[in-house]
Amino acid sequence: MNDTGLYDPAPRAVVIHDLVDRSRRRLDGMPDGALTPVLEDALYQERKRLADHGGSHEEHILLDDLARTLVRGDRYLRIEAALRLVAHWADEVHGHFDNRMYRFSTHLLPRAVNGLLAGRPKRMRDIRGGWDRRLRVEGDTSLLQQLSREATLILAPTHVSNLDSPLIGLALYQAGLPPFVYGAGLNLFKNPVMGFFMSRLGAYTVDRTKRASLYKEVLKDYSVRSLTTRHHSLFFPGGTRSRSGEIESNLKKGLLGTGITAWQEMLAAKRKDSEVYVVPLTLSFQLTLEADTLATDHLAEAGKQRFIITDDEFAKPKEVLAFGRRVLDLEASCIAHFGEPLDCLGNPVSKDSAVRRDQAEHRRNYVCDRDGNVIVDAQRDRVYTDRLATALAQAYPRGSYVMETHLVAWVAWRCLTRQIGSDDPFRVIRVPRLGRIVRDNDFHSTLRAAMDELAALAEKGSCQLAIPNDPDRVLATALDRFGRYHRTRAVAREGRDLIVEDPKLALYYRNRLAWASLEA
Amino acid sequence: MAKRKKNDGIRVGILGGGRWGQALARLAKAAGNEPFIAYRDVKPPQMLKSTKNPPEVAESCDLLLVATSASETRRAIQLAQPGPSNRIVVAGRGLEPSSGKWLGQVVEEECDAVRIGALAGPAPVEEILNGGLCAGVVASPFQEVRELVIKALHSSRYRVYESQDLTGVQLAGAFVPVLATGLGLSAGLRGSGVGMKAMVLARGLEEAGRLSRALGGDSSTLAGLAGVGDLVAVHGAAGSPYFDAGVQLAQGRREAGPSHIAKALVERAKARGVELPITEGLVAIWDGTDPLTAVGELMSRAAQMEHR
Repeated sequence: MNDTGLYDPAPRAVVIHDLVDRSRRRLDGMPDGALTPVLEDALYQERKRLADHGGSHEEHILLDDLARTLVRGDRYLRIEAALRLVAHWADEVHGHFDNRMYRFSTHLLPRAVNGLLAGRPKRMRDIRGGWDRRLRVEGDTSLLQQLSREATLILAPTHVSNLDSPLIGLALYQAGLPPFVYGAGLNLFKNPVMGFFMSRLGAYTVDRTKRASLYKEVLKDYSVRSLTTRHHSLFFPGGTRSRSGEIESNLKKGLLGTGITAWQEMLAAKRKDSEVYVVPLTLSFQLTLEADTLATDHLAEAGKQRFIITDDEFAKPKEVLAFGRRVLDLEASCIAHFGEPLDCLGNPVSKDSAVRRDQAEHRRNYVCDRDGNVIVDAQRDRVYTDRLATALAQAYPRGSYVMETHLVAWVAWRCLTRQIGSDDPFRVIRVPRLGRIVRDNDFHSTLRAAMDELAALAEKGSCQLAIPNDPDRVLATALDRFGRYHRTRAVAREGRDLIVEDPKLALYYRNRLAWASLEA
Repeated sequence: MAKRKKNDGIRVGILGGGRWGQALARLAKAAGNEPFIAYRDVKPPQMLKSTKNPPEVAESCDLLLVATSASETRRAIQLAQPGPSNRIVVAGRGLEPSSGKWLGQVVEEECDAVRIGALAGPAPVEEILNGGLCAGVVASPFQEVRELVIKALHSSRYRVYESQDLTGVQLAGAFVPVLATGLGLSAGLRGSGVGMKAMVLARGLEEAGRLSRALGGDSSTLAGLAGVGDLVAVHGAAGSPYFDAGVQLAQGRREAGPSHIAKALVERAKARGVELPITEGLVAIWDGTDPLTAVGELMSRAAQMEHR
């Protein structure tokens, strides 16, 4: 890392050589009984992928080569063939971070994203400034700035929308933090303009259609390499956008576990800057751009949900602009909350630098023997990563902001399920329109009780409140927000009463409060 | 890794110098290791290396076996002050009486060690001290902890099996005293015989399995050394305090017995919507219900599937 807090990437050939070398060490260490299934899996998964999605001539040649060695080759030839495939993947994964482009973009992009938030090009004054009004950044950012200088950070955000990435970029800029490396789906690079910028601003390529374990290990190696070369990294531990609207509780541990590996590599190298800290980031939005698609996908027949969605609202520029104009332009329509930093085992990191140094000394004992040598133990590290994932999942609700749309959807859903006598979502969404009317009295008493419960939770630090202590204002704001973007409203007025107009959307937004297990 | 002796044995720290601590020390010795006991308020163990300074044991031994009673576990950890490099295995039964917490949880609250496990199974202390054969199960999510305990205790006198189901093993350790009390009650009640004992045993294990599943454990653990194995040992041993407490309960004497464990289990079960009819029946008796009335209520429950 240079003195500006930006990183100096190694030449492409060096990165690829390092990634191939890591795979070589792993494959060399495998007995034949374990090696062959890994290579067969790579061949099978890749051929299947090429059949389903097509691929380059070079990929076909590499796979044919691997297939030949699996039939006729010896161990050495098999590993060499696999490593040629690894080199191909490594080249694809590696980004093109460019310092000059970053400097240029740090001037341009906040304005561009802010322009999206402002939504109305004629208001140039708003485009030039005011992003702190629309995107609220919360948390101890000065501590994070300090930590970013003395250690490597992993940012672990909740994932709601494809707009998360640019908004996180803006939040990082606003918080005075350096850029973060992050994995972005290969599909996002297909757009030449997006791909050009993304790869030069720290994105590396993740192809989620590649299912081979050999490929996943290359991604993990890339992440370890990034971290050990002091590139702050961003992972979405939920893996993909939350389909149900709930705050993630089951986190994927693959990339998260690379933090502990990188930390140990740096410890073994006796580096002074060996610490890796994990920062939870909870994103709260009044409305979600892709809520319609995500809610529908969530309720799709079990097993038919799509892991990669390419035809949602994010793929339609008009929708994105409309969303920006109607929703993101509103004051504090999104809040990014940086939580308390954690170490790779999920323990909190002190704000005091002297205590932090002691913690670092102490922490080594979790992975070193009494002589200070790092003991490699992948099984132990998996359990440590489980602890980290649990700590993150507990931190997310603490940083989540209860917003009017979430609360009103929750209350309306509660009243409706009480009326119907079932909380089975499939039953609720089939109820005809007239059956979805919620009496105003019932709604208000439930809303008051829920607000009291949430206030008690916020008092204990279990969540944050972004709502006024006035049920009428809460309802009015939510009805206004619901009417701004979605084609059908989650909840709307029906005479003096209310109606759950779109139960799927109502379920999606109410799920944002599912973690609280409210009793109202 | 633990310090190696010349013959490749390890130094095994034992917190608690009572009979169970000494029995574990003998087993460690039989497995070719060097036990080191921290004791307090008891006579120093004979022929075994020991100290009255617990931090010395934590400092010099990577593996610590906690061989105190459940009520003393917290204090033992506070005194020994283990650190991140220690692997701690609780070798006691039950839950902490004052808080109803798992003993592993108590250890985690009191020190920075996270590599924690539990040793459970039949523990006929006098038999072990006299060279009798026995077996136990060590549970921990950490493979290195399981391997260390096997290295520490596994020998031709004592077999150590391993499990990843820490929840199930701890739960079994909590249920055994309660079910042993139930068996004692069955033996002491007028008019009851082997049929009632068999029913308490089988249905008790079934309800323990239900709770285990609800807590994320594996109900088959109850069928192993930590469950059935330990229960057979407790039931078969002459003068078992839990069994005797059950006999006394049948006679209307409610002072003795693991009522705090039973109440904590019922609380946990209620929080997860799990029914524990036998344990709840025992709690009712401790709370003043006539034993015959409580048994009558259990017997008049509606018929249902054996496994739910």
